[in-house]
Amino acid sequence: MRVLVCGVGYRFLRDNALGIHITDTLGPEASNGVEFEDLGYHPVGFTQNLNERPDYDRIVFVGAVDRKREPGTITAYKYDHVLPDIKEVHERIADSVTGSISLDNLVIVSEAFKALPEDVWVVEIQPGDETWGEGFSEAVESKLPEITETVWNLTRL
Amino acid sequence: MCFKNLPIEFDAQGNASLKPGVANPYSYIETPAPTPIEDDPERMKELFARNGAVRRVDFDPVTRVAGALAFHTVVDLENRQVMETASMATLFRGYEIILKGRDPRDAIFISSRACGVCGGVHATASALACEMAFGIKPPPMGVVGRNLLLSTEYLYDHPIHLSLLAGPDFSEAAVRETNPEIWERARNTKTQGAAVHGYELMSELMTDLTPLTGKLYLEGLYYTRLAREAYVLIGGKYPHPQTVVPGGVSTTIDASDLNEISLRVMKYFDYGRKTAAIWDDLAEFFYEVNPKYRDIGTRPANMIEPGQWDDPYAYDGTYENCDAWGRERWAPPGVVVDGELRTTSLQMLNAGVEEFVEHAFYEEWTGNGDEYYRHKTDPAGNPLSPWHPWNKETIPKPEATSWKEKYSWSTAPRWDRMAMETGAYSRIWVAAQTGPQAYRNCPYIESTGHSVKINLPKADLPNTEIEWTIPETWGAFERNRARAYCILYTAAIAWDNLQLARDLLKKGGPDARMSTPYEMPKDHRIGVGLWGAGRGYLTHHLEMDNGVLENYQILTPSTWMASPKDPFGNPGPYEEAVMATPLLENYEKPEDFKGIDVLRAIRSFDPCMPCTTHLHMDGRTISREIVSCACGSDGDDHDH
Repeated sequence: MRVLVCGVGYRFLRDNALGIHITDTLGPEASNGVEFEDLGYHPVGFTQNLNERPDYDRIVFVGAVDRKREPGTITAYKYDHVLPDIKEVHERIADSVTGSISLDNLVIVSEAFKALPEDVWVVEIQPGDETWGEGFSEAVESKLPEITETVWNLTRL
Repeated sequence: MCFKNLPIEFDAQGNASLKPGVANPYSYIETPAPTPIEDDPERMKELFARNGAVRRVDFDPVTRVAGALAFHTVVDLENRQVMETASMATLFRGYEIILKGRDPRDAIFISSRACGVCGGVHATASALACEMAFGIKPPPMGVVGRNLLLSTEYLYDHPIHLSLLAGPDFSEAAVRETNPEIWERARNTKTQGAAVHGYELMSELMTDLTPLTGKLYLEGLYYTRLAREAYVLIGGKYPHPQTVVPGGVSTTIDASDLNEISLRVMKYFDYGRKTAAIWDDLAEFFYEVNPKYRDIGTRPANMIEPGQWDDPYAYDGTYENCDAWGRERWAPPGVVVDGELRTTSLQMLNAGVEEFVEHAFYEEWTGNGDEYYRHKTDPAGNPLSPWHPWNKETIPKPEATSWKEKYSWSTAPRWDRMAMETGAYSRIWVAAQTGPQAYRNCPYIESTGHSVKINLPKADLPNTEIEWTIPETWGAFERNRARAYCILYTAAIAWDNLQLARDLLKKGGPDARMSTPYEMPKDHRIGVGLWGAGRGYLTHHLEMDNGVLENYQILTPSTWMASPKDPFGNPGPYEEAVMATPLLENYEKPEDFKGIDVLRAIRSFDPCMPCTTHLHMDGRTISREIVSCACGSDGDDHDH
């Protein structure tokens, strides 16, 4: 069994650093085929890296994504592998290679290049503060145990 | 005469000084920007009455430019002219503020985050600035290690632009949509470079530029991978390297690493030849179809180029000697005005730089050149302007957008009060003009005074000499063509540095060390990293005291080129280039207008807005808003 947990985010944008925080803190405790990786870099590179590795049974993406929900809202869902139209995929690739860090781009671009296994999960949290700096907003800070538990649960097949 | 607009003169020995007897010599009287058409109801009425085809077309955002650029135009679709332009960097970059009060070495790692494409060059520019301030220099192998990092970064960067960002504008899909008559002609036009790139017909070449499915697009992605693989062998990570430090590179390089890098760099010999042939064919085909394509994105050839790839024995990290070590770089520094080389002095290049904020969302910090400002001269005694980066203060001042007043988060950098562009093309242009003796000898590169000849060892393709010649006209196609040639130019410099690294390894001793030890100074110091990014000029200016940064200023290529108008009434390079762009797209009704020629003009500069501006403003971030949820159904427990 091989599970990869991908933390997506930007280290100096407070809540946006959630994904990186997860990989920083849970990574050292991982074992038995579970790997944590900082995915704060562009998706094309990630897909090229994936192609070099043995297949994963499951990939879990975790990060803060602003979808206008209540700050601290945790959302977990299984990815359905449905891509937007080709024009948008291309725009997202262009965004990606030029440095935008985005969980959506990562999932869509990885899918477009057929790098993902069938079993893919996304765990998101609604950020409360994505301005420059370190440390989480109260809304996100208070949900760290819950999101940590959600991620650990998804590492168990 | 180096400067025509700044109040600087030179004595017989070439020493610069302020012109005497001028009170407040850098001050100026602002030239008001023209009234925007839409703010002038009478003019709008007259224009509409005349032909009804005048309309505002805003490209917001401009896509495939890395982030936050909006471009405002007023176009006359009947006369196929652009009547008004405004380039708008839409987000604020706060690194200058963030870095204040930090250890200068933090800037290497933090400023790297200014860009997700070319973070490595920010790290290096920052390390160079630290070295100057600390008074240290790397051992030769440390310099060579940095040169290899830079080379592989460019070998990553140029294919990205040509294949993924600019290339799609010339693909079958784009050409069929915007100029179907050109597509028909492409189907019956043979290429000139078939022996190199393998495409017999222009249409076949254009088909393979198509995003996601085209072979050239996918090949571009592959070459970005190869370059990254080479980069991380020294840098550890990309785009944010972990080994760039003041005084060199904090890793070791052995013969195995050099072999791994060489194997990858060699693959660019043929790829570089092929890419040059492709962009030759594209330019010549479009010029043949309609000579007006030469005018897409045209503007005077005014360029600024700090030069890159230090000579490991000449570079000493001092400002006092930077003219000497700058001229020993593989790519020499230079400023080009109207196509002619004005100077190759790094000190004059630096002394001529000013940043203005009349049309940017910042507060002016000098009081229009008041008597008091921090640095009236540089460390070599050359006069500096109050608007020079060493004197600059970043004071954000968000306000409503006005095309006449303030409309961008980019400042307006100027050299000798002229708008400059910069890029891979300024690198090869200056290298061509400096001639054979002016910079470090490279066995694979020959400068003729008007061209650069590149002659690399044979790979799969025949070992033909490739020559890039300074073009007669300057515009979008020539920018892309020059960038394509720069893949091979970069590979040649990388190859030379790889051989040098092997020689140093074999020699051993202190020269083969990767970095030098140092102690952090606690007194007041200044420094500047004069370096380059894939898309041109990059400088980091720092001032430190008590071991922390007092001021840090990053000036990037896209700040130069995306700049708004300056106080002298001059547009920024994007604005100027688009104003001169004829609208050659095929449209019958105004609603069909796509703006492909405007976009080709802008993208030819290889814009990279994360460097220009960054991160946050009023809750907006560089991450795009989601437009596709991609939610699942199987086992879905999400809440929206």
